[in-house]
Amino acid sequence: MDGKYGHYLDVIIILAQKDFKIRYRNSVLGFLWSLLNPLAFMAILTVVFSLLLRVDVPNFAAWVLIGLLVWRFFAVGTGQGLFSIIGNPSLVSKVYVPRHIIVLSNNVANLVGATLEFVVLLPLLVFLGVDLSLYVLYLPVILIMEFLLVFGLSLSLSSLSLRYRDFYQVWDIALQLGFFLSPIVYDAKLVPQRFQFLYSLNPVTCLIESTRAIFLQQQFPSLFNGAVVVASVAIFLLLGSMIFRRLEKRFAEEL
Amino acid sequence: MAMMEISDVWKRFRIPHERRSTVLEHVAGFLSILEGKRYDYEEFWALRQTSFRLEHGESLGIIGPNGSGKSTLLKLIARIMMPDKGRIEITGHIAPVLELGIGFHPELTVRENSMIYGVIVGVPRSEMKKRTLSILDFAGLTRFQDARLKTLSSGMAVRLAFSIAIQTEADIFLIDEALSVGDMEFQEKCLNRFREFKKEEKSIVLVSHNMEQVKSFCEKTLYLVNGETRFFGRSEEATRQYASDVSRPIGTSQPA
Repeated sequence: MDGKYGHYLDVIIILAQKDFKIRYRNSVLGFLWSLLNPLAFMAILTVVFSLLLRVDVPNFAAWVLIGLLVWRFFAVGTGQGLFSIIGNPSLVSKVYVPRHIIVLSNNVANLVGATLEFVVLLPLLVFLGVDLSLYVLYLPVILIMEFLLVFGLSLSLSSLSLRYRDFYQVWDIALQLGFFLSPIVYDAKLVPQRFQFLYSLNPVTCLIESTRAIFLQQQFPSLFNGAVVVASVAIFLLLGSMIFRRLEKRFAEEL
Repeated sequence: MAMMEISDVWKRFRIPHERRSTVLEHVAGFLSILEGKRYDYEEFWALRQTSFRLEHGESLGIIGPNGSGKSTLLKLIARIMMPDKGRIEITGHIAPVLELGIGFHPELTVRENSMIYGVIVGVPRSEMKKRTLSILDFAGLTRFQDARLKTLSSGMAVRLAFSIAIQTEADIFLIDEALSVGDMEFQEKCLNRFREFKKEEKSIVLVSHNMEQVKSFCEKTLYLVNGETRFFGRSEEATRQYASDVSRPIGTSQPA
């Protein structure tokens, strides 16, 4: 049994490496692009919201950058996870690899990318005036939880998009909606009172607020946010594996 | 000891009358069901009632006309597809199906693809790092190691896949007409390797239209027509029956 799991680990590493290489190969700047993207967006949002619209959030640039990084991990992770099966026909129909490993490797490549983004942009946060404290050590936990959330969703998305070829369009719209249903460019306090509870059940909201808590408020994420994240990870992993198991039987035929 | 036991395996494919593969089409289709139109598809049994048993060290040939379910059976044995009914029991490690069009990412280099393929078929990553050069050498592709995979010809790609697959510690090798693409020299290399496999009591499952190869490597042969087993047993017998069916196709149900 040990040999088998060693083999799976090797497969995950090699496939994650492959996804990583493919993502950054065809551009001169490679990884730099994935840093420039949130930075440029941060600059735009800072100009628009703190200079033009005068949003009242202290250290808006750092605040918005954290929100963007957490959101990017979610949006890029699920967006690419969705294509992990359709985009790898030979892995599905030419060889036998347990299929959830294909999805998992794709998500691992994303986790590495997101972690690097955070690590590289840490000095920038300091430059923007953020006092880093030991609470930052909590970041890996948040990233792992977000990774598990992305994995659960990717399991559903990748198998559903094989069944319905335009499913990525649906998810694309959902992500656009999600961007504005999460407190990335505005403060969650601005949400009307009667929607507050519903609003706070969004796991991405909780992940963003937890990350801001450890970076900007030097405190632990709230118990409520933690509980919502853990519960939604459990729900999406369960739902994802149920859908995936059901649909994976016909993957090789439908590709 | 039975190495492979296939008991009453059935495999069905669905051919929808109107192919509906998008969310929008499903919504439209759902509305038309409400109007009273029925969503239907045709069922097509690619394999029916397939049963056979191979003992340790025995090799199997699979023969029959195009579309008779040979490749489907290989994919079932390889676990790439699932049977709709029946059981497939295998003891031992299976190497992947060798067939045309193998390769993982056309944009990555030959060497990178070899790494990926090798690890997937079961060679540890650390081993694969050491062996890549000798594999490329066996495949005769050392010169192309940094070329993108898409620049290789189909024959070269099969040569690469084959050279990697034989690195695995598998007990069973599945081969789907892949041999016919390699050039004469490479075919000879492969046949030699098969003879070694036989000596090591490894098994080969060979889909082929070359009756001589089937007879020389496989003790048993399964002869399929339209998904049904026409014959299973000694290879001489199976190939003789296939040959005689082909020579008088009138009165039989098989397509030419």
